[in-house]
Amino acid sequence: MTPPPPSPRVALFVTCLVDLIRPQIGFAALRALEAAGCTVIVPTGQTCCGQPALNSGARDEAAAIAKRTITILEGHDAVVVPSGSCAATIRVHYPELFEHDPAWATRAQAVAAKTYEIMAYLDEVRGWRPDTALAATATYHDSCSGLRELGVKAQPRRLLKGVEGLTLKPLKGDETCCGFGGTFCIKYPAISNAIATEKAGAIDASGADLLLAGDLGCLMNMAGKLHRDGSTVRAFHAIEILAGMGDGAAIGEEA
Amino acid sequence: MSASAFTRRADAALADPVLKIAVERTAGTAEAKRGIAVQHFAQFEQARVRGAAIKDHVIEHLGHYLEQFEAAATAAGAQVHWARTADEACRIVIEICQAAGAKTVARSKSMMGEEIGLPHALAEAGIGRIETDLAEHIIQLAGERPSHIVWPAMHKTSEQVSALFKQHHLEPHNEETIPAMAESARRHLRDGMLGADVGISGANFLIADTGTICTVTNEGNAELSLVPPRVHIVTAGIEKLVPSMGHAVQLLRLLARSATGATLTQYTTFYTGPKRQDDSDGPQAMHIVLIDNGRSTMREEGLAEMLRCIRCGACMNHCVVFRQIGGHAYGGTYPGPMGAVLTPALDGLAKNRDLPNACTLNGKCQEVCPVKIPLPTLLRGWRERSWREGLEPVSVRQGIAAWAWVAQRPRLYRTAVRAAIFGMRRFGRGWIKALPMASGWTAHRDMPAPAAESFMRRYAKGER
Amino acid sequence: MSARADILAKLGTLAPTAGAAEALLVDPVRRAVAGDLTETFLAALTLPASGATHDRVAAMADVPGAVAAYLDTHGLDRAIFLPPDPRLAADWSGFKLSPVIMPNEPAVVAVARLGIAETGSLVFETGPCAPMLPNFLGLHHVVVLPVAAVVAQLEDAALAGPQPRAHYWVTGVSGTTDIEGQYIRGAHGPRFLHVILID
Repeated sequence: MTPPPPSPRVALFVTCLVDLIRPQIGFAALRALEAAGCTVIVPTGQTCCGQPALNSGARDEAAAIAKRTITILEGHDAVVVPSGSCAATIRVHYPELFEHDPAWATRAQAVAAKTYEIMAYLDEVRGWRPDTALAATATYHDSCSGLRELGVKAQPRRLLKGVEGLTLKPLKGDETCCGFGGTFCIKYPAISNAIATEKAGAIDASGADLLLAGDLGCLMNMAGKLHRDGSTVRAFHAIEILAGMGDGAAIGEEA
Repeated sequence: MSASAFTRRADAALADPVLKIAVERTAGTAEAKRGIAVQHFAQFEQARVRGAAIKDHVIEHLGHYLEQFEAAATAAGAQVHWARTADEACRIVIEICQAAGAKTVARSKSMMGEEIGLPHALAEAGIGRIETDLAEHIIQLAGERPSHIVWPAMHKTSEQVSALFKQHHLEPHNEETIPAMAESARRHLRDGMLGADVGISGANFLIADTGTICTVTNEGNAELSLVPPRVHIVTAGIEKLVPSMGHAVQLLRLLARSATGATLTQYTTFYTGPKRQDDSDGPQAMHIVLIDNGRSTMREEGLAEMLRCIRCGACMNHCVVFRQIGGHAYGGTYPGPMGAVLTPALDGLAKNRDLPNACTLNGKCQEVCPVKIPLPTLLRGWRERSWREGLEPVSVRQGIAAWAWVAQRPRLYRTAVRAAIFGMRRFGRGWIKALPMASGWTAHRDMPAPAAESFMRRYAKGER
Repeated sequence: MSARADILAKLGTLAPTAGAAEALLVDPVRRAVAGDLTETFLAALTLPASGATHDRVAAMADVPGAVAAYLDTHGLDRAIFLPPDPRLAADWSGFKLSPVIMPNEPAVVAVARLGIAETGSLVFETGPCAPMLPNFLGLHHVVVLPVAAVVAQLEDAALAGPQPRAHYWVTGVSGTTDIEGQYIRGAHGPRFLHVILID
């Protein structure tokens, strides 16, 4: 593999959920990217990629948010996102949003081409391996957007294999949607709950101590369901484990 | 805000433990079997690409192939009719039946017949309808609509079937076993099926160059319904065309594998026109009704890819929403992801806006579709149209507008985030059990409370 | 405007560029059929999902004997429906032949034009001597197939030129999973399929 460029200037787009609920994930991303030799910039104007508007069909509102986001991200070598769905919004859907707007289409395509989900970036672009240990068993859930829109599947597993002492146990139905679906779980809570209940059952049955995934929305959904139903499985974003921050408070355990 | 009709139906389905078992038994098994079939067909992905290309070619030249089909079918002695709407199609079918003096028709399974409301039209016209497909027979006895496009009676338990057969069959089964029940249906349907005046089928494919229709079945009932009667009527969507047999064959390799995991169905039958003079059996007359019912509009209004659909059912079998709520909750002819795309087109968006919304956009449906229909993209398209037409609830419109407004103003956004953290942490630390503004969430799961300060605030303060 | 005119006006009738449809037929995407065609055919025919049985004889003259043996194993009388097909010409004197096909005919004999190795399917078409209904009415469907008539793939089963009224591929016995997903053999069509190959 050709060596990656030394110290690329990488914009970290933490995502609105990470910013609001679990900053820990943002700091883990920062730490891992620096360990991988990146110069990390956190654009201060970042807010949200616009996914809630996009998924609601509010194209104009989504485009307005997208324009701002493109503007603050485009001046970097790469854009890295600790979320498959947000990374996919930028990488796959921003160009679609500006299909009929040539000026913005070019800018959207340029940003899209250099936007990555964080584990895919660390594994495939940086060729990085973690240098940390955690004695635990974990099971990994493939969040749908990352999996199907960005092809994130093998990369997290390759990275997690490098964590000394961590055993990965297979999750039955690891590619089955957890029922979060962004606006879906708010609009159709009963159906979402039925889906999440099955997912929680599969996670419990895996026998793992920890649940890991690459999207905080999915993790909140699954962990919230597990905890409500009395499960002892604890959840982290995979990047927290990879950055050596898996010994702290899991999701829902922060004071 | 009162629950919509869809939500009420979905809630009823979620509360039905028998339905869940039934769905797992059919859709769950189909998922497993398809997986095995795909494993054994190394070129499956290429076959999907080819299948999509064949269908796209036909869709682009639909008028041309319709004309070619009509000419070839007519040359083979069939009579070809055209129907713009469901009502027009039913009228044509009823007129043919009345002209033939039909007292009974034998139907083989056809989702198109269901789509145009043929059962109702036949009843109105006083023409007896014998459903010969076992599942269609069951739902006819129950007075219900199909709940799956491949297993219409998926939702019925064997106990329910047994009760229906005991009520309606002249010589019902003696033992409470499924083989005995199937035997009862075989007995009950046989004479009626063979003695019907008219046989009505759908078509899986319309082969343009020879004017041939193709049906793909497992029970043998189609052939037994379509060969003896005087008249064979075919009701088919205009999108069922393929240019030639060779194109049909390539799609046939995808169809059964995707639907049930079989290589082919038991019977793949090609009919070209009515009985020939020196044939020893077959119908005297064959009528083919080509039905538009919104398909030409779909092509022109951003839904062209939906016309690729070969009605395999894989999308619904793999859909996490369908697997929880079953088929009837969708409220239309077609359930699952393909139903969520088609129903607003066939029956109006305003009435059916829940269907494209009740989806997590996880993309599994697209992954398994044998002709690579971009179902999530089409569902997003409906959401956009719903938004443009002002059909979304005011609270949602206002919420999104407010969110978007704030999200474009970072300083205001930071203030809003601070307020949200403060507000949420009042309801708990660690895990929140009940959150009034998110009661849909906390009714069923805990919510992690936010950390004391947002990432952007901590970063700005120098934390690393 | 007529429905036809309306629909075609909406769709347009532009013909595809020459060769575009044919290009989609080049190198059909399919599994290769390797090795002996008859062995491959039998491997597909004898898969559990098919439910078919088979036998093999040296010549058409031996077929009546093979049919008799088959009926004996099922405890059936030597009574069959035999279509007036010259390809089935043999000594059927040991059998009671139904003059006309009955709705509950126990056994129907037929000859397939082809066997398809790819799927284990039997190919039939209608004709003056080949009625279609009997092949779906009989409880036992006994099909004669010359080994030389086994072709490799589905494409090889296509008939060029004007089509017969009907042609059909039979792949295993009739069946259904409509009640609770449980597989039942012989829903309406034949419950038993027995293929007699002729070398």
